[in-house]
Amino acid sequence: MSTQRGAMNLMKAQRLIRVCVIGAVGAVLAACAPSAPPTQSNAAGSSPSDTLTVATTTDVVNLNPLLGNSRTDDWVTDLMYPRLLTVSANGSKEPYLATKWGYSADGKTGFFDLRNDFTWSDGQKLTATDVAYTINTIKTQNPKGNVVSGFMSNLGKATAVSPTRVELQLNKPDSIVVPEIGFWMTVVPEHIFSKQAKIDDFANASDWVSAGPYRLSSIAKGQSYTLDRVEPYPMAPNGKPTLAKVVFKVYPDVNTEILALKKGDVDVIANALPPAQVKDLKATSGISVAEVPGLGFTHMTYNMKRKPMDNVLVRQALAHAVDYNSIRAVAVQGQAVTANNSPITDSLKEFADPTLKEYTFDPQKSKALLAQAGVSNLKLTMIYSLQDPVISAWSSMVKDSAAQAGITIDLKGMDRNTYLAKTVAGDYDIYAGSFAIMDEPVSNMALQYLPDGAINYSQVNDPQLTSLIEQAQSTIDKGKQKSLVQQAAGYVNKNMIDNIMYVQNLNVAYSSKWDGFITKPSELLSIIDPASLANIHQK
Amino acid sequence: MPPLAWYALRRVAHGLVTLWFAITITFLLLRLLPGDPATAIASTNMDATMRQELLTKYGLTESLPIQYGKYLVQLVQGNLGTSFSQSEPVSTVLMARLPWTLLLTGSALVVTVAIGIPLGVVAATHAKGALDRIVQVVGVVGQSLFVPSVGIFLLYILGLKLKWFPIGGAHDENVYGIAWYLNVGWHLVLPCASLAMVSLGSYVLILRSTLIESLGEDFCVLARAKGTPERIVVWKHGLRNALLPTTTLLGLQLGFMVGGSVLTETIYAYPGVGRAIYESVIRLDFPVLQGAFVLLAATVVAANMITDLAYGLLDPRVRTA
Repeated sequence: MSTQRGAMNLMKAQRLIRVCVIGAVGAVLAACAPSAPPTQSNAAGSSPSDTLTVATTTDVVNLNPLLGNSRTDDWVTDLMYPRLLTVSANGSKEPYLATKWGYSADGKTGFFDLRNDFTWSDGQKLTATDVAYTINTIKTQNPKGNVVSGFMSNLGKATAVSPTRVELQLNKPDSIVVPEIGFWMTVVPEHIFSKQAKIDDFANASDWVSAGPYRLSSIAKGQSYTLDRVEPYPMAPNGKPTLAKVVFKVYPDVNTEILALKKGDVDVIANALPPAQVKDLKATSGISVAEVPGLGFTHMTYNMKRKPMDNVLVRQALAHAVDYNSIRAVAVQGQAVTANNSPITDSLKEFADPTLKEYTFDPQKSKALLAQAGVSNLKLTMIYSLQDPVISAWSSMVKDSAAQAGITIDLKGMDRNTYLAKTVAGDYDIYAGSFAIMDEPVSNMALQYLPDGAINYSQVNDPQLTSLIEQAQSTIDKGKQKSLVQQAAGYVNKNMIDNIMYVQNLNVAYSSKWDGFITKPSELLSIIDPASLANIHQK
Repeated sequence: MPPLAWYALRRVAHGLVTLWFAITITFLLLRLLPGDPATAIASTNMDATMRQELLTKYGLTESLPIQYGKYLVQLVQGNLGTSFSQSEPVSTVLMARLPWTLLLTGSALVVTVAIGIPLGVVAATHAKGALDRIVQVVGVVGQSLFVPSVGIFLLYILGLKLKWFPIGGAHDENVYGIAWYLNVGWHLVLPCASLAMVSLGSYVLILRSTLIESLGEDFCVLARAKGTPERIVVWKHGLRNALLPTTTLLGLQLGFMVGGSVLTETIYAYPGVGRAIYESVIRLDFPVLQGAFVLLAATVVAANMITDLAYGLLDPRVRTA
């Protein structure tokens, strides 16, 4: 009897322990679950109609806008930190935070005049002091990956001469400093960033302060980045950005990203669509596709340090052995326009030279030029990144068309890091690649064609070309500069120093229920530039 | 020392040696990769001086033995370093990701076992019958599946067309409290199913063959002769012995799943360590890669140690061998 009672007590005790364990686990889980944040003033009461979800294939790497990393970093931080200038649809610079910009008469002082109605979200005014601090920090600390420092070789220092004017002391006249700092640099708050001893070590991972239309409020690392509306934002209608929230969601695989758009989980795909997907999405009900003008170009460069590419006839023969029209029609699916083999493409209408023409695809002419150069059985290798699906698609077309001219091209597709290593080492006969944004003719030509240019992939060292570019860089006379730029572009075309093949127009997709996007050139600005996202609304 | 304790001590020592080996191989392999982190992070748009400055800052201009020595000292102190690209401690970067990978691989492992055992038993008890053939076909097909294809297929049918499951992510925004757990579970279904589907085949086929062998052993024949019900013979006597080799397989499959999680997390936009590895390879972010491989190697080594210890408990012959 007592044994039975003991067994029953034991069972009861076990049951009690089980209930307690289940209760304890439940309590722990409930305690560990994320709790709702306190109500936020500006974004309170947001609904699907004023929340825009933007898909991107690359995750945020670093939220410090002074460090260059991924495209998504730029998209997110651009909504918080304004640039001085932006780019209009025709490729020219236009005001953003700066209302006027330029140089003194002797060209040794640059300046930006600023708007006086921008305020950081913590209440501090955005003034010339913030701009001068940002410029000087980049100049002195040279943050990793920041492209702006590459344009500062002739800059002494920046000074805030009034709350709305910044002046830049230059060692000598340099026409690229003001427009390039103006476009590429995002202005950061001095009162926050100056607390950091080394800007390279600052991740800017929390407590964000914004002078843009939106401010980061929460992060689910690797997954989503949520920004809330900031008021007032002087460039929005009535000072109030139209969206309460903007959410960036990361989909590393573009197919998953497209499925998410089709299902309605996201409203916009920010990255440019692969050309092969454009037709399908254009035909999908409820989805619109916007064409964004390209601001860069795709090219092949012939390594002029290697024989026989040091011979202009050989380079011209190679240029005549490319079937440009087929490449644009098939590999880029008609979503590209000719660059006329000129580094100043029609994207930069102000500077482009309409008289320059593309080399014809003419294998016989190519053979004749090779014979004239005394070259036979020409065998070359071409490197390209396998991460670039468009170039991977046309590389075999280049090989086939060159074969018609008796030229053998050995294709070397490789992973991005091997490709970059070979590019830096100049270890190639032919280099194939793209530049995403070529916004300023003189600085782009300086980077590409001066002997010490950071992206001089042709390995060109031509005194005549160098002289034209240096003259264009040192003059602030717009008319003279345009003439010099066009001469240099003509020289590149005639001597086939760089085979610039096409400008790819980009396509981005969005849900048709949204309206009011402002389209700007390049993937960087596209339809999700701050001006656009401060204005869009549901139909 | 008792045999079980001695056995456990030897397994732990083996585990530590394996971990050191994994750490060393990872360290060396990363430095054999073409390119350098400075170029990968800042692209080619910087001059040689800037690149050299960046490499010096990352400590990559020192000799390999010095880099290795410093890395080991740092590791022993529990410091995984600072990410080159993210300017944050590697532990912070990875700890935000590791729970998701553990949840994904752990749940896929549980699902594999929960479905694999009944399927294996059904096949073994109906050997050469129709059910056995069906299970074998399922097993072989499962072995030949590829995560990205399965992933896109499931997302298209169950996510886009039927709208039963979300497309990507680990949870929605603005979901809190208990609802958050349900939301996490809802997002977990498809990635977990993909991972389980590709690992289920080999598990079922091995369990089937070992169980068929086990059911023909003398102890099962004796049990049947004593009148033990077939259900007990199969599930209690036969299966217990058949589970021994599949327990080893499970340990190996965990390593496979961790590797497979890179693809699964990419397709499903799942924010785990696999994705962090994929992104860090592109940027050659050595500290994050080293830290991720240390964590994953430690996880696999720990799982294998637990498997070995469980094996020792299940089979006394092992611990005395």
